[in-house]
Amino acid sequence: MFAFRPRRSLLLATALFGSVCAASAPSWGQTPIEGGTLIYLEQQAHTNLYPPAGGFYPNGGVLNQITDKLTYQDPKTLEIQPWIAESWTVNPENTEFTFKLRPGVTFSDGSKLDAASVAKNYDTFGLGDREKHLPVSEVINNYDHSEVIDPLTVKFFFKKPSPGFLQGTSVIGSGLVSLATLAHSYEELGKATAIIGSGPFVVVSEVLGKQLELVKRKDYAWGPKLLAHQGPAHLDGIKYIITSEDSVRIGSLLAGQADFIRQVQAYDEPQVVAQKFPIYAAPTKGVNDGISFRPDNALVADLKVRQALLHAVNAKEIVGTLFSANYPVARSVVAETAAGFVDLSGKLTYDPALSAKLLDEAGWKLGADGVREKDGQKLALASHISLPQPQNKSVLQLVAQQWAKIGVQYTLLSGSPGVVISDNLDASKTPVFVVEVGRADPDVIKSEFYPTNRDALLQKGGLSKKPVTFVDPVLNGKLEAIAAETDRVRRLALTGDVQAYLLDQAYEIPIFEEPQVFAGAPYVKDVAFEAVGRPSFYSVWLDKH
Amino acid sequence: MAKYLISRIAQAALVLWAAFTVAFILLQVLPGDAVMIKFESPDLGLSASQIAEIRSAYAVDQPLIVQYGKALGNTLTGQLGYSIQQGVTVGELLRTNLPPTLRLASLGFVLAVTLAVGIAFLANLTPFGWLRAGLQAVPALFVSVPVFWLGIVLIQVISFRLRWVSVIAPGEIEGLILPTITLAVPISAPLAQVLLRSIDAVQTQNFVSVARAKGASAAHVLWAHVARNAILPVLTIAGVLLGELLAGAVVTETVFGLNGLGSMTRDAVSSQDVSVLQALVVLSAAVFVVVNLAVDLLYPVLDPRLRRRFEVGP
Repeated sequence: MFAFRPRRSLLLATALFGSVCAASAPSWGQTPIEGGTLIYLEQQAHTNLYPPAGGFYPNGGVLNQITDKLTYQDPKTLEIQPWIAESWTVNPENTEFTFKLRPGVTFSDGSKLDAASVAKNYDTFGLGDREKHLPVSEVINNYDHSEVIDPLTVKFFFKKPSPGFLQGTSVIGSGLVSLATLAHSYEELGKATAIIGSGPFVVVSEVLGKQLELVKRKDYAWGPKLLAHQGPAHLDGIKYIITSEDSVRIGSLLAGQADFIRQVQAYDEPQVVAQKFPIYAAPTKGVNDGISFRPDNALVADLKVRQALLHAVNAKEIVGTLFSANYPVARSVVAETAAGFVDLSGKLTYDPALSAKLLDEAGWKLGADGVREKDGQKLALASHISLPQPQNKSVLQLVAQQWAKIGVQYTLLSGSPGVVISDNLDASKTPVFVVEVGRADPDVIKSEFYPTNRDALLQKGGLSKKPVTFVDPVLNGKLEAIAAETDRVRRLALTGDVQAYLLDQAYEIPIFEEPQVFAGAPYVKDVAFEAVGRPSFYSVWLDKH
Repeated sequence: MAKYLISRIAQAALVLWAAFTVAFILLQVLPGDAVMIKFESPDLGLSASQIAEIRSAYAVDQPLIVQYGKALGNTLTGQLGYSIQQGVTVGELLRTNLPPTLRLASLGFVLAVTLAVGIAFLANLTPFGWLRAGLQAVPALFVSVPVFWLGIVLIQVISFRLRWVSVIAPGEIEGLILPTITLAVPISAPLAQVLLRSIDAVQTQNFVSVARAKGASAAHVLWAHVARNAILPVLTIAGVLLGELLAGAVVTETVFGLNGLGSMTRDAVSSQDVSVLQALVVLSAAVFVVVNLAVDLLYPVLDPRLRRRFEVGP
């Protein structure tokens, strides 16, 4: 969704349209102008370009230009469309997937993108490579092995039904790379020039941590068939420049030194809009920005306490105070644009009187200092701030103020990155945790909450060795069921069911739908975003300016 | 002289070893490490056994004393190791980042000295009392300007408003103008302050009165008689300011989005990338040691009285 915001009513209208697409400044049927280099300012340098590490936005922003995927997920309908795979078949159990590949596709090193190379890619993403430290992709579950049927046909076998796999072939983490790239170890894939893909752009030079130069592939002829634009990219190239300072990124754009920038904070939006520069707020279509509880910590083990905390959070006030219309108030665990969204705002009411009553019932009595106590213990919670989330510190500070009103103390911790990671794996130190993942498939809820995925609730037997009591087999069963359900309609129904369960158990408090906010110069036309908000510069062109 | 040099070099080696060891201990005392930061983030979803495997591959599960011995041995033989976070060798990181910082720091230092000398001389030579008072207040002003703020103001005014220079993808020289000014201003302040003071002190000495009595002009006296004597304390402070220069580079490089040792340090600190930090610590310590040694050796060159003392005894 983009908003020029000349008037508030127009904005509201755009917001009301629900499944807002991430289309760019429309070019009104103009003929695209060929050539030019796009200057793109990124806030952070990429860390690693092994495709499954593409979830980190700076990584995904590069990978999306240099790699192609087997399938293309239409960002509007979320349907899976052909790309490098011309067609595919799936057995009824969803354990075998056969893909027919488009002929004539090559990687930028000249090697062929054929069944053998696709098989090697997925063997690596699905099983990992211990020797080379290449981790397993988060989106590929239950992978068993691959089989090359003929040079253009590849088949994948799964140990258990894996209906999420088809969507998994369309995501940033499933970008196809050449065999030469997969021969490197994980550590060596920090160098962008080592990543050989088949995408419309190729990395030609890199200044570590500072700058990347991409040029277009003149022979590119295999973009997704669904797109209006076919053939090579319009741009000659893209220059990525890491500019960590917010004010410098925005100032450069407005002063005409840059064409497109990532990460515009809500408080900076007005100055961009005032100069008639378009803002692009791409929805991330996954688990909303919010906080979860770790019931392994006795303070939040009681359902009543968690419910009290849930009803004491006023998400509307937080969004109204800190954000703009590009940040819708959450109405469920996942965003409205996510697959399987169900409006559960009825379970998320702000009701501090109810909260106080629930805490009284649970035996937490107000102490002299305004903090509730039970058996000599204070109801004092803590969490770390999550740096990637927009204005997370301010968000959590507002939550702390709202919880203080019902007599709950909430402290924001700080520490070195090592401390943050080890504290976050320890429910006794962090009974509260910040959640958010973007992925346009029902599996996204599993990614966030399943014990062997991100394990936001810290269950026993999950990522951390610390939890001693808490495990919720009901929740885990529901998450596994989504991952295994082959019928699309039933799968969406199960997704709705698990959203309700998470909120009924008050495991999580969704706050707002997190967008990726970009801004561009008015002459930058036809910017597109993949399903979870990474920019695609394939169709972009620069108008006269 | 030779004996003096040998003892100074031995001292320098000791300082380097101590810097290396203290840095090693401090980095180990910090909770967590680079492997943990990179691989134990829940986004990767690695299991405990996979993480254990990675830890052993990086040899971070070995006893500390073994790790220390290895690290020391490698550093002595010039193998600086591998950046866990960036995935490249520390040598390559240094090759990319050392030249731009050296360029920025030396330009910044030259500009800082020019500014300081300009302020001090002008303040001494001006016939106007108000200008002198004004110039003498400049160092206090410069030292209180935060580098971060100065950088942003320069960018906003010079680049975005006046559009004189570009900060995004600028030309080679164009890109150095604003960062150099940003770095030089706070460094010039203590230099100017010390120079002003020491010129004042030297001005009161007898040989200056003699020179004046002989009819030399104020400028000649300042240049030929006072400056040379006033420069010694400035030289001492210049050696110390080198640290400021490195610290200033961290902020300047962040604000201007430049690559260099500053941004490399920032990234390594935030990811506890031990090999990179060790290399940076040893490098900075070496620079300090060399510069201070050079300063000490320059004293007798500039001041013949010190030279005589040298020849007589230690």
